Amino acid sequence: MLGIVRALGTTMRAAMRKPVTVQYPTEKKELPHRSRGFPVLLWDTRITEPFCTGCQVCARYCPVDCITVTMRDNPKYAEGKSKRKKIVDKFYLDYARCMRCDICVEVCNFDAIVMNNTWQGVELSCYDRQDLVLDLPALLEQSRSGQLEDPFREPMGVAHSGWAPKAEEEGEAEAAPAAQTAAPAAPEQATTEGGEG
Amino acid sequence: MATDYRVPVEPEMETLDINVNVGPQHPATHGVFRMILTVDGELVKDLDPVIGYMHRGNEKLPENCDYRQAIGYHDRTDYLAQFNTEHCFVQAVEKLGNLPVPERAEYIRVILAEMNRMSSHLMFLGAFGTDIGLFGTSFMYAFRDRETIQDFFEEITGERMMYNYFRPGGVAWDVPENFEARCEQVLAKVKRGLEDIDGLMMENEVVLARCRGLSTVSPEDAINWGLSGPMLRATGLAHDLRRAEPYSIYDRFEFDIPTGRQGDVYDRIVVRLEEMKQSVRIVEQALEQMPDGPIMAEGMKRILRVPAGEIYMRVESPRGEYGVYVVSNGSDKPYRHKVRGASFSNLSALRAMSVGRYVADVILILGSIDIVLCEVDR
Amino acid sequence: MIAGNAWVDALVRMGIIGALVPVSVIVLTWVERKVIGRMQMRLGPMRVGPYGTLQGFADTIKLLTKEDVRPQTADRWTFELAPFVIVVPTLMALVSLPFTADLFVRNLTLGLFYIVAVSGLSIVGFVMAGWGSDNKYALIGGIRAAAQLISYEIPLVMAVLAIAMIGQTLNLSEIVAKQHNVPYIAYQPLTFIIFTIAGLAELYRQPFDIPVAESEVVGGPFVEYSGIRWSMFQLGEFVNLVLISILGSLIFLGGWRWPIGGDAPVIAQFALMFVKASVFILFFMWMRASLPRLRIDQLMAYCWQLLLPFAFLQIVINGLVLVYDWPSVLLTVFSTIAAAAAIWLTYRVAQQSGVRYQPGFDRVGSVL
Repeated sequence: MLGIVRALGTTMRAAMRKPVTVQYPTEKKELPHRSRGFPVLLWDTRITEPFCTGCQVCARYCPVDCITVTMRDNPKYAEGKSKRKKIVDKFYLDYARCMRCDICVEVCNFDAIVMNNTWQGVELSCYDRQDLVLDLPALLEQSRSGQLEDPFREPMGVAHSGWAPKAEEEGEAEAAPAAQTAAPAAPEQATTEGGEG
Repeated sequence: MATDYRVPVEPEMETLDINVNVGPQHPATHGVFRMILTVDGELVKDLDPVIGYMHRGNEKLPENCDYRQAIGYHDRTDYLAQFNTEHCFVQAVEKLGNLPVPERAEYIRVILAEMNRMSSHLMFLGAFGTDIGLFGTSFMYAFRDRETIQDFFEEITGERMMYNYFRPGGVAWDVPENFEARCEQVLAKVKRGLEDIDGLMMENEVVLARCRGLSTVSPEDAINWGLSGPMLRATGLAHDLRRAEPYSIYDRFEFDIPTGRQGDVYDRIVVRLEEMKQSVRIVEQALEQMPDGPIMAEGMKRILRVPAGEIYMRVESPRGEYGVYVVSNGSDKPYRHKVRGASFSNLSALRAMSVGRYVADVILILGSIDIVLCEVDR
Repeated sequence: MIAGNAWVDALVRMGIIGALVPVSVIVLTWVERKVIGRMQMRLGPMRVGPYGTLQGFADTIKLLTKEDVRPQTADRWTFELAPFVIVVPTLMALVSLPFTADLFVRNLTLGLFYIVAVSGLSIVGFVMAGWGSDNKYALIGGIRAAAQLISYEIPLVMAVLAIAMIGQTLNLSEIVAKQHNVPYIAYQPLTFIIFTIAGLAELYRQPFDIPVAESEVVGGPFVEYSGIRWSMFQLGEFVNLVLISILGSLIFLGGWRWPIGGDAPVIAQFALMFVKASVFILFFMWMRASLPRLRIDQLMAYCWQLLLPFAFLQIVINGLVLVYDWPSVLLTVFSTIAAAAAIWLTYRVAQQSGVRYQPGFDRVGSVL
């Protein structure tokens, strides 16, 4: 008997408390800084081109093979405006396959891809599954329009699995997360690393 | 059983047993699991479990992935205790490759694994309350606290469920600045939430009348059937892998192992509830002892190649003994990767525990085993 | 007598009740979802209409426009007539149920007897639904429903009979009139407890909802129904809820008369009845949110071995006090003693199923 009374009392006390419902979509909870949405590419506003050089490291390391990348010669390098010899030509990311494991962000040599930590990175319903395969302009859109203010990249100074930074790159690599527009250090060296990695 | 009011059927009356298919789509089977019950009125004469609806190649697919890509598969094997399964796999790789793990990484791993144990047991209590007939109340209370823990995990790793955070050699990145303050906040909330569930279910006479004395299991039977985890501890054996074969840094913490008396359904609930409180103790001790420092082993190469060898590593996951058997042939991908799921062994005892019970009881017994179908079917 | 004609009078009154009751059922579905939601620390329906008040109407429209599916191997007429057999007797029972001093269809002299007799007819509908669905879950649920409802009908009838003995009449209006000073709950606490528990079982709600257990037989006898037929079952369930609540407030809590007396305006009578029925309804919803379900043999045992003997005991007490013309306060005394005995016995039976203990702890020392 007493247990039943105790259960009734628990329910009545719970009824007096404030409900914990967050009424989505009129109210949205605040996403933490590290929240992992789907990956998007970053745009270098200083040189007005993507950071991505098409080195295919992310495609190689993706566990579900959802990335397809090709590279081409960078016309801006020939004009002398950019330090990137190669630039991404086509980039297809299948959001339907992506499992948001964050490995592409970890292995990217150029800080070119990040997980979208805004609500737009997770509100992606569509009517046709083909609409979930995003191409390069769609992937760059968030960063170009400035909606992606503060993406999370793990501190590059700490050696994480797969990439121990060299000594001279370390100082510049630590400055890289602070300024989104900074070009990555030593692009020629990175390109050859990308070629072998 | 305390309330056993069966009327004996006269032997001259001719009756027919019917087959009831508790099919793959059912609110109570905790996933796609099928049972074919042979039922005489309300009494279960035979039980035929059919598994395999959730088989996704979880053992074969990581053999095509290197060791970092394979961590995601372990997240999805036991989708309620992801940190424990990741912990098992990365420890297996570290032991094969002789990778030294820094102290801070070990402490972070233990804290996160124990908090994941709490959230897994909360899910169990919520789902069990729904099985036993509460109209979603226990579910809501449990999920309110589970959301707190998942929000906390989201602040650290970025994901609410499939974390992919542990790496061979440490963890992927460091925890944020306010880790300890947030952790203590979460613990305080969970402790208060446990009182709600305690008051709702633990002393409720209806729960006691339904669960006490139901499918008692003796320790010998438990060992013979291969049970592990809370099911084994409910029978009275204090066997916990964190004490029997201490892995990681569990030998530095002081915690108790709750045991039951009869191994019945009620004991299993009580054991899981008490285990949650012990996890809180472990997390508090770990928070005090956690040092600063690196979170990844020194000198890790870009591509992790593990020397040839084989290893079977097991951990105490919330369901029981979760084990990973890895055979390496020196390359960066495992040659053979086998998963020992705790739910598979626990579920194989279902028939022995349920024959002779009522249909309503079989649902409770299945709920108390706390299965996760991805571990059963892999 | 409206318009001097018995037929017109009956039709108008039935029209009023027939219009009010489904609307109140729709409102009750919203109330239930909100109340149970608050007890679970969530909001309940909020989107459809302000604070979700139109949710019941939206659900009704959805159910009415759904396809009427029938399994091919189902026994056609049994399957299709089952909802009617469940709902029609419940609506028939509303004929002799007075809501206020003037708001009723017919004030039958055998009102209480009629209500009890007619609501027993709906049990056949459960068996029809269970058998006609050609589904083993439905069959199990239907048999459980039949067993439970038949069993708990008896303490319910005995409780009503005890009240009829006190009131010396079966006419519901007169029973209310006789409670102008003291409501009958003061004389019959044991009967009130038996009525509430048996009423909860007749409504197949937690903790007695094993026929429609959602986690086992997934809806029991109702599992193959959809659309209008399903909405008829829900209508039947909630009309039954209203019936039991109003019956309880009439025969125990003094109806529209106590404590304000007989000459109150209709609005005050209505408000008083509303409050008293709400007490019952909210109590039933509170039980629904808090208690798990009993197994079928446990609830049958509780009915036959506990409720029924105490119901008989109450009738014997009533008979003794009335025949030997003892003062009415003895009714209260004996009934309270018997109620205490019933509660104590329930407590003992529940205790017998086991106490919670502290689990054994194996201390793991620190190896630092």
